[in-house]
Amino acid sequence: MRYVVGYSANARGGDAVNLAVALARRQGAELDLVMVMPEDSPYNGVYPPVAGFGEILAEQVSAWLDEGLALVPDDVPAQAHIRCGESEAEALIAAAEELGAVLLVIGASSTGLFKRFSIGSVASSLLHASTVPVVLAPSGYSRTKPITRLTCALGSRAGAEDVLRTGIAMARRRELPLRLVSLVALGPGDSDATIHDAEAHLRSVAEAAQGVEPDDFAKLDIDVVVGHGRTIEDAVDALDWKKGEILLIGSSRLAQNNSIFLGATANRILRALPVPMIVVPRNYVPLPDSLFRTTALPIVAPNIPEAPQ
Amino acid sequence: MSTSKTVDHGLSEKGLKAGSVGLIGAVVIGISCIAPAYTLTAALGPTVSEVGVHLPAIFLVGFIPMLLVALGYRELNNAMPDAGTSFTWATRAFGPWLGWMGGWGLIAATIIVLSNLAAVAVDFFYLMLAQIFGNPSLADLTRNLPLNIATTLVFIAGACWISYRGMETTKSFQYILVAFQLLVLGWFAVAAFAHVANGTAFDATAIQADWFNPFAVESFSQFAAGVSLSIFIFWGWDVTLTMNEETKNPKKTPGRAATVTIIVIVLIYMTVSLATLSYAGIGTTGLGAGNPENQNSIFAVLAGPVMGPFAILMSLAILSSSAASLQSTFVSPARTLLSMGHYRALPKSFGKISPTHKSPGYATVAAAIAAAGFYIITRTLSENALWDTITALGMMICFYYGITALACVWYFRAEAFHGARNFFFKFLAPLLGGVILLVMFVKTAYDSMDPSYGSGSNVGGLGLVFILGCGVIALGAVLMFLMYRRHPEFFKGEVLGKASQPYNP
Repeated sequence: MRYVVGYSANARGGDAVNLAVALARRQGAELDLVMVMPEDSPYNGVYPPVAGFGEILAEQVSAWLDEGLALVPDDVPAQAHIRCGESEAEALIAAAEELGAVLLVIGASSTGLFKRFSIGSVASSLLHASTVPVVLAPSGYSRTKPITRLTCALGSRAGAEDVLRTGIAMARRRELPLRLVSLVALGPGDSDATIHDAEAHLRSVAEAAQGVEPDDFAKLDIDVVVGHGRTIEDAVDALDWKKGEILLIGSSRLAQNNSIFLGATANRILRALPVPMIVVPRNYVPLPDSLFRTTALPIVAPNIPEAPQ
Repeated sequence: MSTSKTVDHGLSEKGLKAGSVGLIGAVVIGISCIAPAYTLTAALGPTVSEVGVHLPAIFLVGFIPMLLVALGYRELNNAMPDAGTSFTWATRAFGPWLGWMGGWGLIAATIIVLSNLAAVAVDFFYLMLAQIFGNPSLADLTRNLPLNIATTLVFIAGACWISYRGMETTKSFQYILVAFQLLVLGWFAVAAFAHVANGTAFDATAIQADWFNPFAVESFSQFAAGVSLSIFIFWGWDVTLTMNEETKNPKKTPGRAATVTIIVIVLIYMTVSLATLSYAGIGTTGLGAGNPENQNSIFAVLAGPVMGPFAILMSLAILSSSAASLQSTFVSPARTLLSMGHYRALPKSFGKISPTHKSPGYATVAAAIAAAGFYIITRTLSENALWDTITALGMMICFYYGITALACVWYFRAEAFHGARNFFFKFLAPLLGGVILLVMFVKTAYDSMDPSYGSGSNVGGLGLVFILGCGVIALGAVLMFLMYRRHPEFFKGEVLGKASQPYNP
């Protein structure tokens, strides 16, 4: 299993590498650090003409990649690649597809002064176009120990059941406790939602999800919590986040099939979120073979041996 | 497990899109680099003041050294593609000292043109505001010195920011920009001739064959000044020749594109300069093209009377073309500075590349600061800053192009007499072009010491053009010695050695 890391030679790139290491350690995955060299459009009309800048840049990019590889601990296998592309996001997606990566890890921009996630243009493009799940590292992410808990955020619109299935599968595969957060209470002014409303919402999502039986919720190691706050940002802040936590969120209905489009709510969650976030494409089918050895309901249980990679 | 980490250094593609540019695309790129609307407004007036009605002749003659040098430039670019261009080539051929000065000349020329582009853009920005709001007093805001300087600095900073972020110009944007420029220039010429025919021209002057005779120019001084100015108007054309992998047919497209570009450009230059001369004459009063008041930018004065309410299109064409050139021209000095930093001919920080935007960050900002500084100095010292900067620019282009052309001759000396092609392209053409340009440079530099040269601005009895042109070169020499004292590796030839192309048939 491989993860592509969209590396850049700044704090943001370091965040991404740390998070990728944390994820890879749980899965025994390999990392592919990718840097993208900009492609000069001949229509830029650069005059006097200068050739050969690309070679200096390539030299620099190689040196940066060496620094990036040095950040990866020895127990995680890693490779580095240089790609060319007009759009960095496009080139990263292409690299992820070509390398058969299951995740694309990138640091959110480090320029945000107040918010943990202030999204850079590359991350933003990925969050609106990627065909591979995108993992965002918050600014200053320094933890390289494995992830300890998965939180899955479920909305009230069509598609939530896919996200739930993905969440359950991911938790099972990584042997992680799963926490479900209902976004039902996150409507504007709707602050009197109770845990019962949330459970009812989750139950309805589960009913809609093929292969997940609502009754199983009782048996599973699943936490159901409701965050309270005047705004989505406040509610996210009010939830208790573990250090090694990661949030799973789905794409907006606006997303094209099999690609990511970060919705408005997800965007607001992102701005307040203190932990990494993984965004899956719409109708994402999480590697059926490695995840579901049978067609039976995936159950989150502590002692299931890891699926063969 | 450290063995499991590998860098896949194999870079299969260059940072350029291969095979994406056809003939028309290449011509558009060539014209956009020349930016004819901007060039004409900046150079027409100063050239008329030197050579009068022989403007068309000088424009034609000015192309010859440009062509000769461009042929050599192409050979060097093919043999040693390098971001340092003139700097690297001259260093290879003549060693570090002349190489450094060649690089400095290129940087200085681009810095000067940056400040001029920004200033022209600002003039037309205010002119356009005046035209939009129907309030002529807005156009005069550009004569308010502090406001003019502040606006110009904003334009430079904006272009620097865009260039630093590495924004790409799209094909369709460039096509529209070029088509719009040509259309508006054509419109201007037609409207001017219509005024002449209707008897409504300012100073209707009949076109004469003598206008095309370069030998009718009164003195060699005027001839030299005119030629170094007309080098500037063709500066940009050679970009088509240096295109290679990015064209659909690298063997044929560049040559054909260069030919088509030059035909289009010469046609438009001839039409517009004949139209201007026939409409306005070369009188030194009113709208006359010889009026020193009009030398700054001729279209700012003439577009209104000639095109009537549509003069706003001219403002828009010049504003857009100079703003676009301003942004694209930033790339060149930045990359040369970067290359010089990379080869340790300048402090290492010039070689820094921005990790986020992968552009030469430090060098781009340095170029912007230099352009801003140059503009502030010129604007405060000169009565007619644009005129003087354009003349100084012509000189600077002659200087670095001359060095580059001779570097070509010297670098390829072993091959020069093997075959007619080598003899012509690697020896004769660059030698002739280089010598012509250096002669023009020396002559113009000598003449410009006269306090009445150019716009007539002077400092302590020395012409401002001389101070600008030679001052910048002298500044380069001082910086070069400082650099030698602090970091001598480059000057000892330890980084970039002298070399020449061996004869290897």
